[in-house]
Amino acid sequence: MSDLKAKLGLDVFKEDKAFPIAIKKGLERDPRLKKMVLICPAGLYGEDESGKIALSADGCLECGTCLLVCGADILDWQYPRGGAGVQFRFG
Amino acid sequence: MNIVVAMKQIPDLQQIRIRNRCPVLDDVPLTLGKIDKNALEAGLKIRENAGNKGRVIVVSAGNRDIEETVKEALAAGADEACIVVDEAASDLESSISAILLAAAIKRIGVADIILFGEGSGDNYSGQVGARVAEILDLPQVGYAGNVETTGRTARITRVLEDREEIVEVELPVVVCILADINEPRIPSVSQILKAGKKHKEIIEIDDLTMETSGRRIETISNLAPETARKREPVNTCGALCAVLEKEGFWAR
Amino acid sequence: MEQEDDSRFDAIVIGGGLAGLSAAYTLAAEGMEVLVLERGDYPGAKNVTGGRIYVSSIRELFPDLWTKAPLERFIAHEEICVMGRDSSLNVRYDGSELLREPHQSYSILRGKFDKWFARQAEHKGATIICKTRVDDIIIENGRVVGVVAAGDRLMANVVIACDGVLSFAAGKAGLNKSADSGHFAIGFKEVIEIDPAVLEDRFNLTEDEGAARLFIGDVTAGKFGGGFLYTNKSSVSLGLVLGIGALVVEEPTVQVPELLNKFKQRSEISRLIRGGKTVEYSAHMIPEGGIKAMGKLYADGILVAGDAAGFSINIGITVRGMEYAMASGYYAARAVINAKEKNDYSAATLAVYEKFLNDSFVMTDFKNFRESLDVLKYPLLYGHYPELIVGIMKDLYEMPAGPKTRIFPTVRKHLGLRELWAMVPLCRRMMKI
Repeated sequence: MSDLKAKLGLDVFKEDKAFPIAIKKGLERDPRLKKMVLICPAGLYGEDESGKIALSADGCLECGTCLLVCGADILDWQYPRGGAGVQFRFG
Repeated sequence: MNIVVAMKQIPDLQQIRIRNRCPVLDDVPLTLGKIDKNALEAGLKIRENAGNKGRVIVVSAGNRDIEETVKEALAAGADEACIVVDEAASDLESSISAILLAAAIKRIGVADIILFGEGSGDNYSGQVGARVAEILDLPQVGYAGNVETTGRTARITRVLEDREEIVEVELPVVVCILADINEPRIPSVSQILKAGKKHKEIIEIDDLTMETSGRRIETISNLAPETARKREPVNTCGALCAVLEKEGFWAR
Repeated sequence: MEQEDDSRFDAIVIGGGLAGLSAAYTLAAEGMEVLVLERGDYPGAKNVTGGRIYVSSIRELFPDLWTKAPLERFIAHEEICVMGRDSSLNVRYDGSELLREPHQSYSILRGKFDKWFARQAEHKGATIICKTRVDDIIIENGRVVGVVAAGDRLMANVVIACDGVLSFAAGKAGLNKSADSGHFAIGFKEVIEIDPAVLEDRFNLTEDEGAARLFIGDVTAGKFGGGFLYTNKSSVSLGLVLGIGALVVEEPTVQVPELLNKFKQRSEISRLIRGGKTVEYSAHMIPEGGIKAMGKLYADGILVAGDAAGFSINIGITVRGMEYAMASGYYAARAVINAKEKNDYSAATLAVYEKFLNDSFVMTDFKNFRESLDVLKYPLLYGHYPELIVGIMKDLYEMPAGPKTRIFPTVRKHLGLRELWAMVPLCRRMMKI
């Protein structure tokens, strides 16, 4: 995973004060979220010992996969405000 | 009251990557410096506090792209722009930048407060504001954290390392402001749309009759600092403490 | 407090990707007032491609565009690599037609191309505003009349939603496409910088030539999908595309980002990228369901184009999207021009958009490849058959210490009756594409 952090470190990210992707309260153990621990290409989903899934949206590539897999009933999901978030130089 | 704000077109610093310790500037978008946006915001506030009387005029010198880049400032609330277009302007040394900007300010005619950032976001020479003041024979106040005007007087708070100094000065004056003293406003779409219609006075470098002595400072190298990582693997907290102690980062 | 801007546009385009810029370029060229709103710092900032655009199908729609376009390399060499766990078989295709102009396809980096394309649209008269997210669309009396962006209400005769695969705008207008995870793939890649001379030497390329390589088999750990490598001017784009449906439902699960690291470490790949420096890591979701996954394309005052409409399809040898995006943007613009002539922006008039698409290569392809995704979702293709093929090759090439088995029994050992029988349903499926 440290390798993934290094890769994300190569990308340009512009800060959004309130990054608008979050797991809805009380739904942290949903099995669909568990899938994201393996699928998220930026590795932003993690599971703690108690089986709770946590999301750190820092480094989000805005690919949209988690919204598709989990749905809007589990995730609050919005694009960051204009001019914020990842800015691909090569794409 | 004419409030002049000097703004510099610089590469988007977050977009610059390092290859072999050298900055890669190809295709990097241009923008107005962050500290310059603080200066603009300070200028807009001065106008607002004066009952929205007066004009905020942006001056800049840059390559042809500046005509586009300066729209950011016009969208954010500046009333007009006066810019010197010079293809070499992105690579000028401070003494020449100052001559160009002073020429633009003279073109405007009346300038009551001239605001600069304390140093530009890319080179941070910190000279241009003071040099312009010298050319125009105006008083200059630096390290400004706050600027207020009453009539023909400006009251400026200078934020120094260990204290704050408040000075009063008669207009006109050159003020160099510090970074992050305010939160620059973000223009709305309709303000951006209107910015295209605001007046831009464009001065071609060839139209200026001025004496510059050419380049006197040569940049020999521009390298990112080498980060020497020790890469010492540790398995336990105790081992980590021992390494930190050995390296002098931490004492028991 | 939302402010209403006093200007009214012929069209507001949401999203400065290929569909949106194509629409804006076409509209502006006809003198229409068009505004593009893009949430990235610049057009291209949020856009990702694997790396190849087939210009052949869209050349005529944008006749002036291609001579100066900042494309990377024309693809002169095609290669498919069937990967087993520790061996692989490559099939390389070279054809003189690939070397002749006009070239069929090019490698492309969207950060560079989209920025340039946006400038061309601006030269035609389009207004493009970046760093601006559209937060909502405005619906009055059942018709879309504008958008809300950064607190401004912006009005237009038509809104063209080109806001990408998730298309919130199309959804708000009730034009939802499929949300079935089986209809989407995740693509992720690294751009790896390599000195052009080294790159040309390694891939056996002349100055402007490029190579395209596809990988199937172990590269996706047996999951539905594949790997790709495209040579750019001074970098390669190396990545994977994986069907999301299979990742969600099938066991065993795989650590998706880790697959790319394993891919890079394969000896077939590591020698190609040796000494190269990764300069970017990107990911994006791709609609690949084709016609079965598409939603409605228009309603009163709104058209949907590009990924937002699901204009992307897996045709087996590649997932194509960019050409469909550009063509759908173009036809959306033509539909708006047509509507303006009639001064009627109702769904009935905008329906001509669908007719344009039906008469073009876009919907013809989508109909022809209707079944492709279902056909390709055949797990044996990504695990069993690649191993089978490299297994045969291994035995054919092997010179044992003792006597060598004749060729026919060697092949026959792998392709027994049961194996051949099992291929019948696959062949049947394959006949559909």
